[in-house]
Amino acid sequence: MEDFERELKVGFLDEAAQALADTEQCFLALESDPTNAENLNKIFRLAHNLKGSSKAVGFDEMGAFTHQFESFILKIKNGEMVASAPVVNVLLNGNDHLIKMVETLKTDIDAKFDSTAILAEMARIIENPAAENRTNSESQTATEDEIEKIISELQSESTQEDATDFFSTPEPVFEAVPLIAPLSIIQEEVPAQLLEVQAEVEKMVALEPSPAPIPATRPQPIQPSSSGAPAAKAPAAEESIRVSLSKLENLLNFVGEMVILQSVMKEQVLSSESLLLKKTIDQLGKVGKEIQDISMSLRMIPVKQTFQKMQRIVRDTAQATGKDVAITLVGEETELDKTVLEKINDPLVHLIRNSVDHGIEEQSIRVARGKNAKGQITLSASHKSGKLIIEVKDDGGGLDAEKLKKIAIAKGVIKPGVALTEKEAFNLIFAPGFSTKEKVTDVSGRGVGMDVVKTNVLDLQGEISIDSTLGTGTTIRIALPLTLAIVDAMILTYGPEKYVIPLNHVHETVRPTEKQIQNTSGLGDILLLRGENIPIFRLGDFFNRKSAQKNTDMIALVVRSGASPCALLVDDILGQFQVVIKQLGPELQGFKGVSGSTILGDGKPALIIEPQDLIKRKLYISTPTPSATPAATPAPAGGQAA
Amino acid sequence: MIDNSRYLCFNLAKEEFGIPLLAIKEVIGYPEFTPIPQAPTHFLGIMNLRGQVISVMDLRVKLGIKPSRTEETSVIILDLGDYNLGVVVDQVNAVHLLSAEEMGEKPVVENSKNHDYITGVFRKEKHLILLLDIAKALSVQDRSTLSQTQKNAA
Repeated sequence: MEDFERELKVGFLDEAAQALADTEQCFLALESDPTNAENLNKIFRLAHNLKGSSKAVGFDEMGAFTHQFESFILKIKNGEMVASAPVVNVLLNGNDHLIKMVETLKTDIDAKFDSTAILAEMARIIENPAAENRTNSESQTATEDEIEKIISELQSESTQEDATDFFSTPEPVFEAVPLIAPLSIIQEEVPAQLLEVQAEVEKMVALEPSPAPIPATRPQPIQPSSSGAPAAKAPAAEESIRVSLSKLENLLNFVGEMVILQSVMKEQVLSSESLLLKKTIDQLGKVGKEIQDISMSLRMIPVKQTFQKMQRIVRDTAQATGKDVAITLVGEETELDKTVLEKINDPLVHLIRNSVDHGIEEQSIRVARGKNAKGQITLSASHKSGKLIIEVKDDGGGLDAEKLKKIAIAKGVIKPGVALTEKEAFNLIFAPGFSTKEKVTDVSGRGVGMDVVKTNVLDLQGEISIDSTLGTGTTIRIALPLTLAIVDAMILTYGPEKYVIPLNHVHETVRPTEKQIQNTSGLGDILLLRGENIPIFRLGDFFNRKSAQKNTDMIALVVRSGASPCALLVDDILGQFQVVIKQLGPELQGFKGVSGSTILGDGKPALIIEPQDLIKRKLYISTPTPSATPAATPAPAGGQAA
Repeated sequence: MIDNSRYLCFNLAKEEFGIPLLAIKEVIGYPEFTPIPQAPTHFLGIMNLRGQVISVMDLRVKLGIKPSRTEETSVIILDLGDYNLGVVVDQVNAVHLLSAEEMGEKPVVENSKNHDYITGVFRKEKHLILLLDIAKALSVQDRSTLSQTQKNAA
């Protein structure tokens, strides 16, 4: 395939994925307000653009399907069909089918699809006399003329609307316009075979022999792409461009290096006499900081798209469980690092499903309890002290601490007779193999899920907590770092070397007195801290390094992020810094106890310690021969360099 | 494919070696680096290359040649596709364009230890240049070396 053609197709798939996310939203809105003309027009435009572009870039099957889909939508738009729940179901299924097509085509550009089932379903709905008020349906599929007419109407409408549009945006309402762009390019630069293909498609789907209609396009600014659909609520649509993630990462690398060089320069300038030089370097530092902040923010995207997907999850889950549930989204514009956002998607789906299935009660129970029959779930995002807080709140039955304990005992998660606070009891739902649902549905209840949710959140350096009142509802709160690229960390020394430990692992630091450290023959050194007995390790023991200092001259970092607390002895703590995490190469992937590296202010790299892995490794190493030193060959001293 | 016959030649002690120019990102002076605990002896540590953290290996130690440190000691940054790797050598000499005729099969040495990483030899005037498959000489084995060291330690 020619590069040009491939490029067009890839570009189209990106746009299509966005347009489909848009249409899904519109379909969901259609269900709650079936007669909203604005919404119907938008749906129709999106569908039409999708059809035109998919055919133009040569995705024949997709073009054929979207044609049928468009005709189906036209019937709703013309009032021949009412957007009842079954109709919206078909629309959503069709949308899913298209999303699947796009996803598959992204990996295999020549993939084939079978759309017969969904087409049959559409035909059945159209044929069904119950789909009332069919006034003018002599043909199953709308003619191209008809569609063309409507499109041109819509266009003139949207041009007129420009001035008074309640979106009050300088942009025309014409959404997903980029979809059309490839089409017009083709017209100018037509590779002959593309036109042939198009002609073929037209024949196959028995259209009129004229080429696909090409809506007249005016030059359009490129729509925001990373942030999904143009924000309708935004006061003015900002122009944006699409940038590859690798370019961004490169930029971040260099900016990071620049900041380091600046700090080196700042130290050097102390010995200089020139006031001007000092001042300039000071200013340069400020500009540098600004550049760093901006480039960091480039990776941040609003949670909107992820949140909106949850509407669909709620709808489907509620339907499957026979409940009536509404979802409210709060703080959709809150921004989060792209990688973090992608990784939080699956946990959120789990949580939302759980809330609908386990949290919200059956309608009859709700009514009996004097609640609104319609369940309410609120999904909100907000920033709080440098963290992103996501809350999933339902007004369901709440968690029953006593019941949770009983189940946990029955399933062997905890031993009988263990006293748990209410909060600890709530946390039982995160235990592997725990499920409170009596019957297993296809939605949830298998007892996997919540523990996976917790693991995922912890992997993201986040925290998860539950708040629940019996009878009135449950709130699950996830606190996430804004970005994975930067972490608050403590820089410490052991011998001549510097190490970095993420701050979230360090619970407290103490300088142990002689009385606090007890040497036991079986368990090694134990730190006695306020009635707790915590095993204590010298950091260097894990790395086969020596420090001249005595235990009592060192500082103990108490780590509580794992299953049981432990303490690490280090020579000194240099301070708390924000460090940029750099991945280690594949040649170091097998290195346990180290999660990555960072570049310190002096320009030298340092290892980032993962205490949990480190302790495991220590236990592993020391179990067979507790007194023997590890058999590893010591690394050569790196200090040769001047 | 044309550039495949260009080799960067360098010295390890008195021996001259060559690696394909295409596998090289750049050559830098001897950097400062942070040693990695419990790494094999030829694994010198990690260095900062303009914001990128790169592992540095000593090819001399790896091939059993005595390391020394002079003004000429350099680090060749290899571009191994998805990651980079630094290799310490004694002296970087020149880029040679080697034609296929000039390249000889490596002499068969019986009973020698594994020398898979030598892909051929090139005779330049009076001395031999050994052509290396650098990935074989270093990374393929080293990827596992580190985890093996840890296993041995256990």
